[in-house]
Amino acid sequence: MAGASGTTSAATGATGSRRYPIRDQIAIVGVSSTAFSRDAGGRSPASLACEASIQAIHDAGMTKADIDGVVGVAEPGAPRANQMAALLELPNVTHHAGPQPVAMFGMIDAMTAIFSGQCDTVLVYYAFMRAPWNSRSAAQDPFRRYVMMGGGTAKPPMPESMDPSAAYTAWASRYIHEFGASREDFGRIALNMRANAMQNPKAVMRTPLTMEAYLQARMIRDPLCMLDMDVPVDGADAFVLTTTERAKRITKNPIVIHAATAGVVGRNDEDQLPSLARHGQHVVVESLRARGELWLDDVDVFFPYDGFSIITLGWIENVGYCKPGGAGRFMQEHWDEKTGRVLINGRVPMNPHGGSLSEGASRGTGHLREAVTQLRGDAGPRQVANARTALIGCGGFFFNSQGAILRRL
Amino acid sequence: MAEAVSDAALVERFPWVQISHDNKHLFRGWLDRQLLIQRCRDCKRFHHPPKPICPACWSGRLEPTAVSGRGVVHLAMFLRQGAPAPGVDYEKAPHPVVTVELEEQPGLRFTSTVVETPLDEIEIGLPVELVWIDRYGAPFPAFRPPGRAAKGGR
Repeated sequence: MAGASGTTSAATGATGSRRYPIRDQIAIVGVSSTAFSRDAGGRSPASLACEASIQAIHDAGMTKADIDGVVGVAEPGAPRANQMAALLELPNVTHHAGPQPVAMFGMIDAMTAIFSGQCDTVLVYYAFMRAPWNSRSAAQDPFRRYVMMGGGTAKPPMPESMDPSAAYTAWASRYIHEFGASREDFGRIALNMRANAMQNPKAVMRTPLTMEAYLQARMIRDPLCMLDMDVPVDGADAFVLTTTERAKRITKNPIVIHAATAGVVGRNDEDQLPSLARHGQHVVVESLRARGELWLDDVDVFFPYDGFSIITLGWIENVGYCKPGGAGRFMQEHWDEKTGRVLINGRVPMNPHGGSLSEGASRGTGHLREAVTQLRGDAGPRQVANARTALIGCGGFFFNSQGAILRRL
Repeated sequence: MAEAVSDAALVERFPWVQISHDNKHLFRGWLDRQLLIQRCRDCKRFHHPPKPICPACWSGRLEPTAVSGRGVVHLAMFLRQGAPAPGVDYEKAPHPVVTVELEEQPGLRFTSTVVETPLDEIEIGLPVELVWIDRYGAPFPAFRPPGRAAKGGR
């Protein structure tokens, strides 16, 4: 294994050099998921969000009176935060907000609200529903007709619209052009996620996947095929956040947010991005390294977002596990034949829950939930031994790049 | 000529795109078969998609400026499914979508389709020029390799 000596020089040198008083001050004390499915049996996003939220509040050992902040990420069809306060009849809410997807926007809003004193304990929830535009079965459901992309007013796109989902394919073409990447390089992302999902009862895609099957999968937007794109699901995840100080009093194993960030470049219109060498992921990595004191040598479990396989290739390279264009080779060098997945330096798995490609499209909340589960030591048969630190690279290249370092105290 | 087209008439000519205060010049240009890209009168920078100010120097003195439409394919993909449009049949052939880096300024790009070209010739690095096709009865800017029309096309 060529990389056994460790990682590139980027592995060390996180500095915590920037003013960052919130470091380690906010903890995740409750977590829950409905599990994801291709069809939740006629349940609304509100119903799923309620189930996950109530379970997360119970998981934190709390009641409705403890929750004084509500953050509901504005996924299509999901209830707004004030509606969630009504659904649960929360009596003491002094902060509510609805940041845009993806996952970390909700976390960062909750963190800053708690740290600033707008509230003390926040319910953050995410609800996903298969939509008429991304699921054939959902298109048959008359109760889903109201769910419109982008909030309901936008015109239907034209074939040449460079919306984010198409743009990832377009930049994948550039990646192949610049680095001579093979389809197998992309395929290894899909295989890794599937092998991991097979160990996760909450995942929707749990049948074995071979490279041969990947290479034969239906092309959707050439050069990306169906297995390069995440799986639409019905489901919800919820989290309860509070101060680390309080978390230490109420739980034996608080998981703290060491650092969290979003990042965009100035030119983030999808087709105007400066290059594969300069986009949101680079800003996120620089920010995490300046705000956190932990980096790759400390990481026990790695969560690169995988809404599209090209995003994952980007995260592997941009956090510094290997050089630009080297992710395919890196995965080969760190491939664990026995389990059919990546184990970095024989130790660090990549999305042990199966990621968005195989657990289901959660826009990063699955990654966040699994990070908490692993750090608590609650991951059962897929538990990473003595996992203390998790690195999450959330979102993609354009408007939603985010990252976080979570750790067990 | 299209200067005379009222805002209301413009919106009616392009019922399939979202026309706004900030991008209306682009579509007025299409009616005249001109690709008008916003250019700053102060710092001379082009930008796209259209914004209400120059994002480089924050000047509000913008001028829709005709560009040559010549450039090089920077990104290229082939849709096997996607939004409907006349003349686009995903069952029959993948629909090419390219982002072209325009010759006027490094990093200034415009995304559209490629016509009159065998699919296997469409790749990153291919030089292209602008060609106007019809979509829903209005001109629509597309690309093709220079001189392609003379050889006949697909």
